[in-house]
Amino acid sequence: MKALIPFVAGALVALGGGWAGFPHAIYKSRPQPVDFSHKVHAEKAGAKCEDCHAFRGDGTFAGIPALDKCTGCHAAAMGTTVAEKNFIDQYVTPGREPQWAAYARQPENVFFSHITHVKLGQVKCESCHGSQGSTDQLPRYQEDRISGYSRDIWGTAGRPGMTMDSCVACHRQQKLEHSCLDCHK
Amino acid sequence: MTTTRRGLLQFLGGSAVGALFTPAPWRLITDTALWSENWPGIPRPARGEARYKFTNCSLCDAGCAVRARCIGDQPVSLAGVGGGLCPFGLTAHHLPFHPARLKEGPVKEAAAAVTSAIANRGPTEHVAVLDLRPGRTASWMYRQAMASIPNGTYLAPPEPLVAVDLQKARTVLSLGAPLLDGWGTPSKVFAARDQFRLIQAEAVESRTAALADVWLPVAPGTEGALASAVTGEVDAADAARITGLSAEQVERLLNELKENGPALVVDSEMSPAVVDANVRLGGWGHTIGPRPQAPTPDAWNKAAPVADLDKVPNGSIRVLLIDESAAGAYLPWAPIEKKLAANALVVAVAPYDGGYARHAQYVLPAAIYPETMDDIPPAVDSMAATFRLAAPLVAAPAGMASVRELLGISDGLRERADAIHKVGQGLLVTYADGKSVAVKDLKADDFWKALNAGGAWTGDTKLPAERRRDEARRGREESLRHVDPEYPFTVVTERRVAGLCSPALSQIYQESNLRLAPNRIALHPSDASRCGVADGARALIETASGKREVIVTVDSSIRSGVVLAPGREDVAFTSAKVVRI
Repeated sequence: MKALIPFVAGALVALGGGWAGFPHAIYKSRPQPVDFSHKVHAEKAGAKCEDCHAFRGDGTFAGIPALDKCTGCHAAAMGTTVAEKNFIDQYVTPGREPQWAAYARQPENVFFSHITHVKLGQVKCESCHGSQGSTDQLPRYQEDRISGYSRDIWGTAGRPGMTMDSCVACHRQQKLEHSCLDCHK
Repeated sequence: MTTTRRGLLQFLGGSAVGALFTPAPWRLITDTALWSENWPGIPRPARGEARYKFTNCSLCDAGCAVRARCIGDQPVSLAGVGGGLCPFGLTAHHLPFHPARLKEGPVKEAAAAVTSAIANRGPTEHVAVLDLRPGRTASWMYRQAMASIPNGTYLAPPEPLVAVDLQKARTVLSLGAPLLDGWGTPSKVFAARDQFRLIQAEAVESRTAALADVWLPVAPGTEGALASAVTGEVDAADAARITGLSAEQVERLLNELKENGPALVVDSEMSPAVVDANVRLGGWGHTIGPRPQAPTPDAWNKAAPVADLDKVPNGSIRVLLIDESAAGAYLPWAPIEKKLAANALVVAVAPYDGGYARHAQYVLPAAIYPETMDDIPPAVDSMAATFRLAAPLVAAPAGMASVRELLGISDGLRERADAIHKVGQGLLVTYADGKSVAVKDLKADDFWKALNAGGAWTGDTKLPAERRRDEARRGREESLRHVDPEYPFTVVTERRVAGLCSPALSQIYQESNLRLAPNRIALHPSDASRCGVADGARALIETASGKREVIVTVDSSIRSGVVLAPGREDVAFTSAKVVRI
């Protein structure tokens, strides 16, 4: 029995490291460039998702809005918060685009059409992006050190994953499973 | 507690077993797989708002209208407008990324050497420009520059003297012309294809021969005898003897041309013999006519003519500038080499390493479509004059050179556009909105802007055809007269669409053997058997000039006695033998 102690100790160390340490070590995280509140914009400004995350005339999705969209309202500071002052000083005044990190960016080998899902499929933004649209603070962006993908694609509490398995599961449920080339380039 | 080697190994074993019950190893496998989708060097398509630009494809004289989908400044896909694009044109936005692309060269050093050589040459020594895409506005500028320099010489491959109208033909005899494989404007050719019966006379069953109504497998290089039979210079029996066809086949062909008219005879460069044949068939002004050109400024009338290479004294060219930036046909190097002085300076300006680069002291990088600003000569099947700009879709990288810059001349495009506008004839077709506007209703600046936005001018201005050259055909006939019995095969080169193609496309072509790879030849099964080589075998192909190792493709569509090889015109119709390794 005594002879098993080193073996068990090794197993326990590996289990501890694998479950507790590894998930932290595999990701590097950084804050978003601007302390942005979806909640404030939705509640105080009455903005809807598509007001900023719009479709272009040709049906393509504009994604994260560019600075000129923000300066439509924020040409000058709107309020006295530190976040607002930083945004004006660092981005609006010098005309510098914030380098937003996209939580839901899909890999290059995938076609993802927002307009097909939103307009044709009537899928709600929350179905994939969870409660992102009502949060008061943007979470830190966590990037996998090896794959370079966002941690968010695996899904978190209140937000479904955005992996291929998640897509396939939904398409299967909707009886829309056709072929690889529906999504893959 | 004492640490022993056994205890340490047990600890490591326990760690390994324990690790299997954590997400770490499985996640590492997944992440490594995901990482492998993003190898360094994999192109990253640009993301962002798509915008559309219009231009004209300059890869060949068809000059098809192009609608380019661009993300930011980068074109990400090309499509045709009102007629589609060939596979080469569809993938042309890959060309700037070609692995053989020349990215740098001794531009300043070459410019200094050219200036010095021109200034210090002897009184009888020539300065020559070899333009591999004649008929452009750039060609006019070269000719003017050569006219202004003592002993300036303008050299170019032969151009068709006439234009053809396939729409009006009911029977077409093609003497080896790749009629359905990039010879004319693809959209026009295929639009007219159902209206005429095509008879293809060619030594190999090319793509055009395969799609023709009749394929006449003539002996290599003897297609011209059929034109002579049409004009009556030789009788059917002689034509049959020369071509290797039966007298009946030739008789039937001649009867068909007479009875199922209007008939049209074409070859690759519309040589004078073929023009004569068409005149005899009553096609002048109907199925063929003078090749029209867009108006030019009056001052350009002083341009130097296209020089006959045979008449240039041997050893007389001190400076030779070669424009390979939009190469169409090539001239054989051997006759050019004879004309070079002992201390000749040869400068090749080319987008890729190859072509004449190996003969040049200086090889300078050139911009390539879709980076260049150039115009496109009218296609051989265009009976009306045209003026189309290949306006750049992307900026050329820094450090590119041009023969124009070496000579210190302008591109002349704006002057040409103004000259067309001044004449006031013809229409401007703008593909972005699908409209046609009479040129006389436009201001000169608007006309120029529309041309830069992919518009095309078309008119019926006729200028006299001025070049009558058929050295290539003469060279073939001479080489056939001197067949060395030691070399029993005649080399026929695979005709390709002028211009370059995306490396992705050439890979597909070659891996699937749709086009011969550079290291392949094709032989008739009986010839392969005689040489002792099988399909896929390695062999040596030998000519009087040298030999190289190749892989053999056995193909019954090749005429016996012929070796089909990839390559340029300058190796065509030489004698060769194939030796098993």
